[in-house]
Amino acid sequence: MKRRAIFQLINWRLLFQRLSFASMLAGLALYAVWPWIPGVRTTPPRTLVIYGFSILGEMMNEGIAPAFQAQWQRQRGESVQFISSFAGSGTITNQLVLGVPAEVAILSLELDAIRLVEAGVLSSETWRRLPHSGVLNRTPFVILVRPGNPKGIHDFADLARSNIGVVHPDPLTSGGANWAILAEYGAGARHSSAPAEAGYQLLLGIWRNVVAQAASARAARTQFENGFGDALITYEQEALRDSASRRLQAEIVYPSSTIFSEHTVVTVDKNIAATQRELVDAFVTFLWSDQAQSIFVKYGFRSVNEVFNHANSSFGRINDPFLVSDFGGWPRAKREIVDAIWKRRVLKEIGQ
Amino acid sequence: MTTNTQGNSSRTSGLLPVSFLLMVLLPLLLMPLGAIYVFAVRGGLSGFLATLRQPDAQFALRFSLLIAFSTSLLNGVLGTFTAYVLAKHRFQGREALSVIVNLPVAIPTVVVGTSLLLLWGPIGLLGQFLDPVGIQPMFAPFGVLLAHLFVTFPYMLGAVKPVLDELEVTYEEAAYTIGANRWQAFRFVILPALRGGLFSGSLLTFAHSLGEFGATVMVSGNLRLRTQTAPLYIFAQFEAGNIATANSVAAILATLSFVLFFVLLRFTERRSQRLT
Repeated sequence: MKRRAIFQLINWRLLFQRLSFASMLAGLALYAVWPWIPGVRTTPPRTLVIYGFSILGEMMNEGIAPAFQAQWQRQRGESVQFISSFAGSGTITNQLVLGVPAEVAILSLELDAIRLVEAGVLSSETWRRLPHSGVLNRTPFVILVRPGNPKGIHDFADLARSNIGVVHPDPLTSGGANWAILAEYGAGARHSSAPAEAGYQLLLGIWRNVVAQAASARAARTQFENGFGDALITYEQEALRDSASRRLQAEIVYPSSTIFSEHTVVTVDKNIAATQRELVDAFVTFLWSDQAQSIFVKYGFRSVNEVFNHANSSFGRINDPFLVSDFGGWPRAKREIVDAIWKRRVLKEIGQ
Repeated sequence: MTTNTQGNSSRTSGLLPVSFLLMVLLPLLLMPLGAIYVFAVRGGLSGFLATLRQPDAQFALRFSLLIAFSTSLLNGVLGTFTAYVLAKHRFQGREALSVIVNLPVAIPTVVVGTSLLLLWGPIGLLGQFLDPVGIQPMFAPFGVLLAHLFVTFPYMLGAVKPVLDELEVTYEEAAYTIGANRWQAFRFVILPALRGGLFSGSLLTFAHSLGEFGATVMVSGNLRLRTQTAPLYIFAQFEAGNIATANSVAAILATLSFVLFFVLLRFTERRSQRLT
């Protein structure tokens, strides 16, 4: 009798609820701290902190990082962990200016590297001492259209027609967007008797049709993928990867005349501890090795070494390719085209 | 008998407002949440588990949980202390202070992140003196914790302070008259009364910390395997077009917060039942 009374006194349901809640919390906490429990984790690997512009993510994580990790393991018997972050080139540059601990950064355009010098993050234009003046790889700018090309888009000029919606990355944060502006301007300006005016007209026509602006080339693609617009201006690499993985139902249109973007590697010396120097240097050297350059080609970038580019049969042909050096380099192109023509004339004209 | 039928009739007449509520909530809340789960399991259960097994997804979840636990713990202590001081002491500027400690509710979290960067970042007001000696709170796990403490501060306070305000001073005074010191009065009189507030405050803080995005994206530097929280991971994966991966982690977070708020709801219900 007495025992039963005690038995009834206990609120079993409440007890059960409390116990299950407590064990849930304990389970969560255990899960959270698991890798940091002594004995569970093996010797912490060496780390390398890399910031890169948006479209590099997949190639770095799946291609370059494992290859370099294997090489370092073979040579030194140490495992290296890549601590990385990928976003629009402008975003990365802003983060570097604010002081993120990047040891190596791969920027979409040299202009962002120059901004790092101006902000005091880099002591001077140190990337010029790297192979190919810091240019890691290239890729031409192309147009992506819906399957079957329903709007009949064959060149940049077609994007200026009425009833076309263009998805464009935002030049404020995206390096790709700045390349795209040069591509659009150049496509109009080259082979014209009045280049500046022809370039301006084509830029204006295309920008009248911009329906969505995304923070990075990657984000612009995601917007296009989600059904925005009729055309997307983007890196060939991005377009090739997407059609290869069959993720994006789209067709690549190769403009007759377009720019090859050149991507710049910088080492952020103030963030590199003395003990890290050797590792960072080995990694940077690795980036221009034959192995790394062929990985770039495999992932749809064009190598700075032309011989490797035959390995990828899906690369399209461009009749009239041009480079930023044709406009006198990035500082001048930024001043004369992006600022003077796109920002001050085109944006004003379309009332943004 | 009569009360019973009345109860039933009021329940049936609730059909109209309930279905109207559902009609509003379906597209607003329920369907978007459902979409997360649909996309998360598109690649089958094995695909769902495979995306979760990736080391950076594992890290992001663990890191988020660690930050959420630490935030609840620290803000539990800090929030209770603040509430106690604000409720029990009369001093100049008390009103202003009560407003200030509640500000994080209204300030956009991105602004919180920026303000922390401008203070503790390597080029910040204080950070520029710390940077040369090798102390860098920002772009490190500690910076994420700071941001979460800031953003979730009002939730603990909001849960504890009303209880303290309503607590009869006489109990505390009675404790003093029988010789209790300040700590004993707090420990044996006030703290037991606060248990409910502490519990719901901690849960709220935990849930908010788990979902925090705006401030974290600014102060963390978004480094995978170092400072990337689960929401940042979801955003990065979604931006990269890996929608299934993003949604697998999102589904875990959604489930977790569902359970947390369910517990919270049951708890507050039981308390109000006990009080009436």
